[in-house]
Amino acid sequence: MKKYIRILSLMLLAGCAQVEDLQNDPNRATQVSPDLLLTTIEQAAFNKVSTSAALASRQLTFTDGTNEYQYYNWQRADFDQFDDLKQVQKMVEEARNADSQVYQILAKFFNAYFTVELTRVFGDIPFTEAVQAETGVYMPTYDTQELIYKSVLDSLRTASLELAQNEESIRGDIIYNGDTGKWQKLINSYSLRVLMSLSNKTGSGSIAIIDRFREIVNNPNQFPIFESNEDSGKLTYVDIQNNRYPLFNNNNLQTAYYLEQTFIERLQNLEDPRLFSFADKKPNASTAAQNDFSAYGGLYGSASLSDNAAKAVSGEASRIKPRYYNDPVNEPSLLMGYPELQFTLAEAAARGWIDTDTDSHYKLGIEASMNFYGISDTESYLTSESVQLEDASDIASILTQKHIALFLNTGWQSFYDQRRTGIPEFNVDGGGILNNGKIPKRFMYPQNESINNTENLNTAITRQFPEGDTINALMWLID
Amino acid sequence: MNKLLNLFVLLLAFAGFAQQEVSGTVKDPNNVPLGGVTVMIPNTSRGTVTDFDGNFTIEAAAGEALQFSYVGFTKQTITLSDQTDLEVIMAEDAQALDAVVVTALGIKKEVKALGYAVQEVGGENLEKAKEPNFINQLSGRVAGLNIKNSTDLFQNPAIQLRGATPLLVIDGIPDRTLDIWKVNSDDIESVSVLKGATASALYGSVGRNGAIMITTKRGKQGKLSVTFNNSTQFQTDFIRVPDVQTTYGNGNRGVYAYVDGSGSGTEGGGWIWGPRLDQVDPTTPSGFFETPQYNSPVDPTTGALIPIAYTSRGKDNIKNFFDTGIIQSNNVSVGWGNDKADVRMSLSNNYQKGIVPNTDLKNTSFNVAGSIRPSDKLTINGTLTYNKQFTSNFPEVGYGPTNYLYNLILWTGTDVDVRDLKNYWREGQEGIQQRHFNISYYNNPYFQAYEYKRGYNKTNVYGNASFNYDITDELSLRGRTGINEYSLYRDYKEPKSYIGYGAKSRGNFSIAQTNYFDITSDLALHFEKKITDNFGITAEGAYVNYYRNSKNTTQATDGLNLPGFYNLANNAGATLFGTNREEKETINSFYGFVDLEFYNAFYLSLTGRNDKVSTLPDGNNAFFYPSASASVVLSSLFDMPDWVSFAKLRGSWSRVSEGKIGNDPYDYILAYEKGTTWDGTPATYFGSNLLAPNLEPETSDTWEVGANFRVLNNRLGFDLAYYQARDYNNLIYSPISDASGYSSILLNGNEFERKGVELTLDATPIKTDNFSWNTQLNLSHYRRYQKAIYGDREQTEGFLRVGDRTDKIYTSIYQTNADGAVIFENGLPVNDPYARFIGYDEPDLTYGISSQLTYKNFTLSFLFDGRLGGLMYSTTNQKMWWGGTSKGTVNQFRDDANNGENTYIGNGVVVTGGTVSYDVNGAIVEDTRTYAPNEVPVNYISFMQTTSNNQNSNYHYYKETFIKLRELTLTYQFTDNVLKQTPFKALDVSLVGRNLWLASKIPNVDPDSGVDNLHAPSTRNIGFNINAKF
Repeated sequence: MKKYIRILSLMLLAGCAQVEDLQNDPNRATQVSPDLLLTTIEQAAFNKVSTSAALASRQLTFTDGTNEYQYYNWQRADFDQFDDLKQVQKMVEEARNADSQVYQILAKFFNAYFTVELTRVFGDIPFTEAVQAETGVYMPTYDTQELIYKSVLDSLRTASLELAQNEESIRGDIIYNGDTGKWQKLINSYSLRVLMSLSNKTGSGSIAIIDRFREIVNNPNQFPIFESNEDSGKLTYVDIQNNRYPLFNNNNLQTAYYLEQTFIERLQNLEDPRLFSFADKKPNASTAAQNDFSAYGGLYGSASLSDNAAKAVSGEASRIKPRYYNDPVNEPSLLMGYPELQFTLAEAAARGWIDTDTDSHYKLGIEASMNFYGISDTESYLTSESVQLEDASDIASILTQKHIALFLNTGWQSFYDQRRTGIPEFNVDGGGILNNGKIPKRFMYPQNESINNTENLNTAITRQFPEGDTINALMWLID
Repeated sequence: MNKLLNLFVLLLAFAGFAQQEVSGTVKDPNNVPLGGVTVMIPNTSRGTVTDFDGNFTIEAAAGEALQFSYVGFTKQTITLSDQTDLEVIMAEDAQALDAVVVTALGIKKEVKALGYAVQEVGGENLEKAKEPNFINQLSGRVAGLNIKNSTDLFQNPAIQLRGATPLLVIDGIPDRTLDIWKVNSDDIESVSVLKGATASALYGSVGRNGAIMITTKRGKQGKLSVTFNNSTQFQTDFIRVPDVQTTYGNGNRGVYAYVDGSGSGTEGGGWIWGPRLDQVDPTTPSGFFETPQYNSPVDPTTGALIPIAYTSRGKDNIKNFFDTGIIQSNNVSVGWGNDKADVRMSLSNNYQKGIVPNTDLKNTSFNVAGSIRPSDKLTINGTLTYNKQFTSNFPEVGYGPTNYLYNLILWTGTDVDVRDLKNYWREGQEGIQQRHFNISYYNNPYFQAYEYKRGYNKTNVYGNASFNYDITDELSLRGRTGINEYSLYRDYKEPKSYIGYGAKSRGNFSIAQTNYFDITSDLALHFEKKITDNFGITAEGAYVNYYRNSKNTTQATDGLNLPGFYNLANNAGATLFGTNREEKETINSFYGFVDLEFYNAFYLSLTGRNDKVSTLPDGNNAFFYPSASASVVLSSLFDMPDWVSFAKLRGSWSRVSEGKIGNDPYDYILAYEKGTTWDGTPATYFGSNLLAPNLEPETSDTWEVGANFRVLNNRLGFDLAYYQARDYNNLIYSPISDASGYSSILLNGNEFERKGVELTLDATPIKTDNFSWNTQLNLSHYRRYQKAIYGDREQTEGFLRVGDRTDKIYTSIYQTNADGAVIFENGLPVNDPYARFIGYDEPDLTYGISSQLTYKNFTLSFLFDGRLGGLMYSTTNQKMWWGGTSKGTVNQFRDDANNGENTYIGNGVVVTGGTVSYDVNGAIVEDTRTYAPNEVPVNYISFMQTTSNNQNSNYHYYKETFIKLRELTLTYQFTDNVLKQTPFKALDVSLVGRNLWLASKIPNVDPDSGVDNLHAPSTRNIGFNINAKF
């Protein structure tokens, strides 16, 4: 009998698993190749379709409630892009492990890009101490915007120069498929954007904005820039789950968003055929011809919600063109497009920073934008009276065309250009406007930062904004 | 063994000459024969057990003492003179001193010996008024156990014991998956709830939050018994339905005209802020205001929609759409046993037909349990259950277009009659496009019921085998191994044109498959000795191993090619999407306990356990934790006044450590996650949590004191427990600045204190021959506090400071001035950029009151339960104000808004001058603002669409307070006289009702489930039960 008990007991214990055998995760990898991170980073950087930005930039309006972007009473933004910066850091780490340079060079661009995306939202942000949790820095100090911009511009310059020398192949590149020449063009074109965003700071400080701008424009061999729409920094959508146009199948877009009235009127006044690419005819004119400019209408961004909703319900407002919600691919998302570059060059020429011809940049920009929307017949528009620049320093027309060219694309770029220049005018005189009729200049810092990094945040706020962390305060960039 | 046997025989023979055969019958005071009574002669090895009819036979000599003992009765000793035929009447133990309960590892202990809180619910309480799962039936029956029920089909209730989720244990084997559907309540002998950590220390850390222990039925010694139990209930109507207005219909700004179902323009964007319904208009053919609608006839010449009457024809949509639900359970069981073996087999079938058409749930179990006792020293037990849960469709809950109420009343004006929607395909687009009044935002409920199907097919196999071998009289060896295994197959059929949140489906099919296996084996050496009459010791040492292996795969299409053909091969996309996951985990443990007993009055129990886990990094993954508990039976020590029947004090202290982070056994490993593949290019990303080095297990220290008194001849009893736990070294994701690259770091930190008090009162106010009344009250109160914040921070990310209750709710509100008036700008309230405290989440008191009234053969029992205090957020109420269906929106302002007039003036002030500044935490630093009353009239509809009436409804946080009539049962038990003529040994029939009545502070929603998930209306269940024994 005892023997059986012994056997039974042994059987109980025989199958027991050892702890040491089960301490590897079969579901995740602890080390990867850098290209796998590049794909993730590119998706984050190039996905730039934002309805909020289109509301804030008076391109679209919203009728399902008082929207904070449209009525300018928004409050906070987040620090999520620091996570993108961490992915870049991981890519550098894995590139070092793999003994590869090229991913480390691209990392310089992405670091610069995500940093600028953050600082132009808030003002000062953590920079030199940012993304160092792995070495124990959990409460990074904030750096001044001026220091950040200078450092970013230096590092973009280095990236372009180093890339020119590098002959490694890039895998995992869903933007340029490993074409380092095109990467160089993007990096330099993007540098020009950053420099132009400092146009209010040419008189002061350590950055030498105009010189840097000239250095790039005047040395196309060393610092190549975009030469056509082909070169644009764009993410092309594909008809595969999670790879589709982000607004595809979006119900709100087809029922609660309408085109903004001043935007429609501007296109009508210019007789701009891009209107037919952006907007659907208003329901009351559904039988009119597609190219009948009077068949389109919009809602006034700052009008009261009730006035706008009543107008929409009565069929007087145009919805967005159905391709934006019907077409799974629609149009590519631009981090920065060739038209934007040309308008930036035109503005630089108009400001006298460079010696090239303002008008030809301006026209190249318009033409490229029209081509982007599939309009090949650009001749009549480009020669029409209303499109012509008043003179070689007509910055208003340039920025107006730039605002059109960036319709529901390139993120918040249009809004920040307007913040910098006041062009085009964003209406705030309607009956529904909030924030005392002011267009906000920034976003408040995220609330969790006041808990997790109290002292450093406090220091940064105090040194920048005597009135406190408000949406109307002026940061260094536009001060 | 053989030697022992020889010795035994020899002894028998030796003693034989003086012995004779004595037989007899043992009965209870009511003259009912008692089976299973132990009859023995002290200091000899002679002993026996009475059979089913109370008969026994034993060899005994005159002068020897026969000792009779049985649970619940006082021990009786009879010294033999020369009788050979005895009739023994056992006296009931008035003090119920020897009542036993099942404790950790299935060990039965006397109630008086316990130093911690255990509450038992007998299986008979679960027999009649059935719920689809046994857990719902425990509502209100156990102090400290808070079950938050939903009447939705196949939804798990939230189970909280002292504020945390307890472990489920079936016959001593933990079920860590907490599948409450796999145990049939007809197979439950008893449910014992071990409340503290002490009670469960022997399960290891998985039992740190207490345990719900199920003991299943086994065959009883005696004749063959056959039991049949049928319970059938109908979900006839509702105790709570969102009460929507029927005055205005679909549309926006008082306008509605259907065009194509897109929702845009004159269709009003899906709002229910449309025109008045039932407006008399003598100029139209119908006599009412008319407008084009989705079911308008088409003018054959122009092709235009012909306007039809805009009336409230959908007033009864709820009643017209939902069916009568059925909950039916049938169980047949057969039991038999003698002194060598027993067996019980049970077959159960539960069928539930949902109130949503085309939904149901089938749950079938087959259970076998048996024991053999091949020798006096060896017992072998085994039990095995096969359980199948199957449905081809059950409804989805949660707010959104996958929810039935969402599509039926929350976002559908009563101008739509659900009966007109039964034909749910658009003509000519069958399989491609559903037919509905709005095809951008909502789903036709019939289309959803018959085409959007979620299947669930789970097969459970679980059971255990164990042996117990008495090596000597004092020492025994026990071994047990138990398994839980299941395979689960789920499929999701999504038809083309189905509306998810903000997107229209191209049709999809996906499947998910899980295979799960766990095994727990233990081997224990058990020692038990009554050293003197006044001193006893029980001790055990054991080794336990736990191992789990689960695998999960999913596959999904990217759109469907052929409509309505649900097969992965019908994928319209470039590739299928799949995931797989494997998890393995093990814990190796040693544990031991020592129970000491002195003078039948002092009891002391010590335990200790050492775990080595695979879920923490090597080096810190082995740890030890002890516990101690004691009780003193005052009534045995001192002379108590007559009216005190029993008095006991108890106390315990325990430590439990747990070395596991959440449910993922690999969470202590930093690694890359799979990213979004882009057009075939793969991607990875690194998560947002960092790990601190040297992670250690987290630990809870709990102490508990309790008192148990029974007075007035056992007619009134109460049990009071107070406990306090300190949770420290917690494995937390401590938030760090996002700018550091990570949002949190996993480390040991923070400290919490939990405390609570529980009271159970039971009374028998009336007890006569024909009538008795028992009643029981359960009360509990629980709180948790933040005692320390890692890194000496001022506050947590949830704005908690040291000393705060952790259930504080902070939310976005509107700015107010010092007097609390809401500040307005341009007619609208101004958002406060800082989250503010609004109230507490936890209830102040959870209670249950049950009563049982018996008159002759009738028994009436009922149970009320509920909660007092605490706040819950209500999505339903918020959306009703937002969308325009709340009855509160029926007013003059709304008519004005429909006419384009801005007449609504929000209650508050406007800032006329001055400024305000805040510190980083939102505290006001300086405030020079001056105010005047808000006088700006706005459009009422715009106001509600922007604010959801937040300001006047506490931002839709409502008091959770409610009382519910949970259960009402009337049973008639047939008398023996009647049954004599029948094959029945016992027969009773009952009328049962559940969820019969509700009173609550919150409108439109049943707060029982604790969260507002926009659940289906709470049903009232009425039915009957038949229980027969053969």
